[in-house]
Amino acid sequence: MALVALALLSGKSACAHRIDEYLQATILSLQADRVQASMRLIPGILVSPSVTAAIDSNGDGVLSQVEQRAYARRVLGDLSIMIDGKSVSPKLISWSFPQPDQMRDGIGEIRIEYSVELPSGGTHRTLVLANHHLSRTSVYLMNVLVPQDRNIRLLAQKRNEQQSLYELDYQQMAAGDARSGTSWGGPRTWLNGVQFLSLFHLGMRHIAEGTDHLLFLLTLLLAAPLLVSGSRWGPAAGARHSLLRILGIVTAFTMGHSITLSLAAWGLVRVPEQPVEVLIAGSIFVSALHALRPIFPGKEAWIAGFFGLIHGLAFAATLERLGLGHWDRAAGILAFNLGIETMQLLVIAVALPLLMLMSTMRAYPVIRIGGAACAAAASVGWMVERLFDIGTPVDAIVNALARHAFWIVIIGLLAALACRFLPASRAGRASEPGMAQLLE
Amino acid sequence: MNNSTHFTSAVTWVAIVTAILLSPASFAGAQQSAATDDIVHAANAFLSSLSTEQRQQVQYAFNDAKQRARWSNLPIGFVPRGGISLKQMSPPQREAAMKLLATVLSPMGLEKVNEIREADDDVKTNGRGPGGRGGPPPGGPGGPGGRPPVSRDDMFGSDLYYISFLGTPSITDPWMLQFGGHHLALNITIIGSQGVLTPTLTGAQPATFQLNGKTIRPLGRESDKGLALLNSLEPKQRSRAVLDYAVADLVLGPGLDDKKIAPEGLKASALDARQQAMLLDLIAEWAGIMNESSSADRMAQIKADLNETWFAWSGPTSGQAGSNITAYYRIQGPHLVIEYAPQHDAPANHVHTIYRDPTNDYGRALTKP
Repeated sequence: MALVALALLSGKSACAHRIDEYLQATILSLQADRVQASMRLIPGILVSPSVTAAIDSNGDGVLSQVEQRAYARRVLGDLSIMIDGKSVSPKLISWSFPQPDQMRDGIGEIRIEYSVELPSGGTHRTLVLANHHLSRTSVYLMNVLVPQDRNIRLLAQKRNEQQSLYELDYQQMAAGDARSGTSWGGPRTWLNGVQFLSLFHLGMRHIAEGTDHLLFLLTLLLAAPLLVSGSRWGPAAGARHSLLRILGIVTAFTMGHSITLSLAAWGLVRVPEQPVEVLIAGSIFVSALHALRPIFPGKEAWIAGFFGLIHGLAFAATLERLGLGHWDRAAGILAFNLGIETMQLLVIAVALPLLMLMSTMRAYPVIRIGGAACAAAASVGWMVERLFDIGTPVDAIVNALARHAFWIVIIGLLAALACRFLPASRAGRASEPGMAQLLE
Repeated sequence: MNNSTHFTSAVTWVAIVTAILLSPASFAGAQQSAATDDIVHAANAFLSSLSTEQRQQVQYAFNDAKQRARWSNLPIGFVPRGGISLKQMSPPQREAAMKLLATVLSPMGLEKVNEIREADDDVKTNGRGPGGRGGPPPGGPGGPGGRPPVSRDDMFGSDLYYISFLGTPSITDPWMLQFGGHHLALNITIIGSQGVLTPTLTGAQPATFQLNGKTIRPLGRESDKGLALLNSLEPKQRSRAVLDYAVADLVLGPGLDDKKIAPEGLKASALDARQQAMLLDLIAEWAGIMNESSSADRMAQIKADLNETWFAWSGPTSGQAGSNITAYYRIQGPHLVIEYAPQHDAPANHVHTIYRDPTNDYGRALTKP
């Protein structure tokens, strides 16, 4: 209210101009070897004095060429741009500034053009652009033009709420690939090797970032190396037994989600997203219960297969969002699924030795029960979130943990190794009968 | 029984055949050129009512890029328009100008234009309280104290709308008619039987006001129909359509011609038939500003593109028909961009919208050899 009153006092009506905001709008244009950006910066009436002061460094009321250039450079200095995770710096191309009186009226528009050279990289590219310029008073718009270059295909755009942070995923084929692509009827009509690789990548990323899928599988594996004794979990079975059972579970899960992913991607099955997401959260709960007490001993593979069917439906939703054509679909499913499998195998390859080592430790029940409890808590959080559309901190916590998964695994592995080999095998040997006694 | 069945089917067939024969499609050619004839006639009638000096003021070369781009949402005090204003015209001249508009636009389009102009009268007389919800005008009706300052007269009012021509009105050669001022920019390109309305800007502040005891919302249907479409979406469709970030203003406002940004939101191919009809009905609020024959051509094109058309929403998803939404929405297709952007100072009472065809702004696709 006060701001509006102030604007009215400035002699002109408050209408039709920005008032207390600094609008910064960017439109990106992707080219083969560079990204071109054009920025429009429009300070509102109440913001313009401070922006004008920032430009007019000698305070003479004139925006000289030198001052204009310095301000344009400052704006670029307040951007951070990363391509494929590497920081790159923008190159100023041109700039134009309005008259100071237009700035005063809140209708002045500063235009800045810049470009970013693309470092050479793979086919799946990620551009991240953050604009920190005068962030306290600014509002942002970030958009990308539909690429003119037919070798470039946009995959996804992500932004924070204010659009000050923008991420663009896209696919870029090498010129050579494109030529061969067009010669067989256009790069979009058939999925070529490059796109295949990019979808493979996406599958890997999907499972790495889709922590709920991994959590289900890992929780189910918690009890896999153990024998059942009565209605409780007993001591570790032999390495061979554990290995076979773990492989069985992973294979069943893979078969399950491959079936539904294919069916859904071909449009043969259609299930709404929400119940699928709720069931996935529920599947974690079931495997957490199983890790606490054997509720389906020996049938883990069947359960993994069954829930795999449900997880596959969620994978299909991701694939559907890419809008693959019918011809692309078969190869697309294959590439995407192979990506999922590869990532899953990588995770298992790391988790497996750790699990086998830990399962023989005296403290393993603590790890197993603690892990199962955490998984159950996460699952309940997700179920609430997905059922009632209520925000819970589960996602944030799990993602933060997942980001540090590497170090957690390393520490776990070192700890397990230390327990096993350092204080002489005495402790280890002593623990085994002890544990058996405890459980009997 | 049999006889009556035969009779019914015979009547049905006659009706169908008659409908086909009388359908607009079979007369389209004739009707369209008739429409252009009428428009050229009305344009020439207006031009001949002007003095030589005035005529020079309203006429620009068809390829005058500067005049073509001289439009804005801002009042004329900030961005002077070319041509001459209704205020500078004599009553007969003004009448001829309005007659021309009535020929070029549909009745709905003319009404929208006039309500946007009336909103500017409301600004002039009532000023603008915070959020535009101010009570009665200062000074009260008839009171001499309420006289607005002179500068206000030059800034706002339904007569501060300008008309200009690029090229000479013709039934064969391309020419343009521009009409605009504060919160309005009609850029109409006529090429033979075709009329192109893109790019066009509509806007209003106040977006709700009282005039002669009636509530006027110049862009009220744009708000209501957009909200109704959003409300018709299933949760899954809705989660696609509603963007998780704020959109502070028009992305493709004045000066940003021919730009095709990557579309976002929900694809209309995921809508059912009823929702698709609602989307088309919403688009018609812009496409239908032009006279019937041009609108019909345009709507047919938009309908053909429907599966490649996107709907995106940003901001509050609750609202009520009859009061303006405070959310932004965008409709984008291969030949279409529509943006509805509530303005930060008074979201429910100040809105800008843009209507574009990034492949055919100013009829470029049709005028290029």
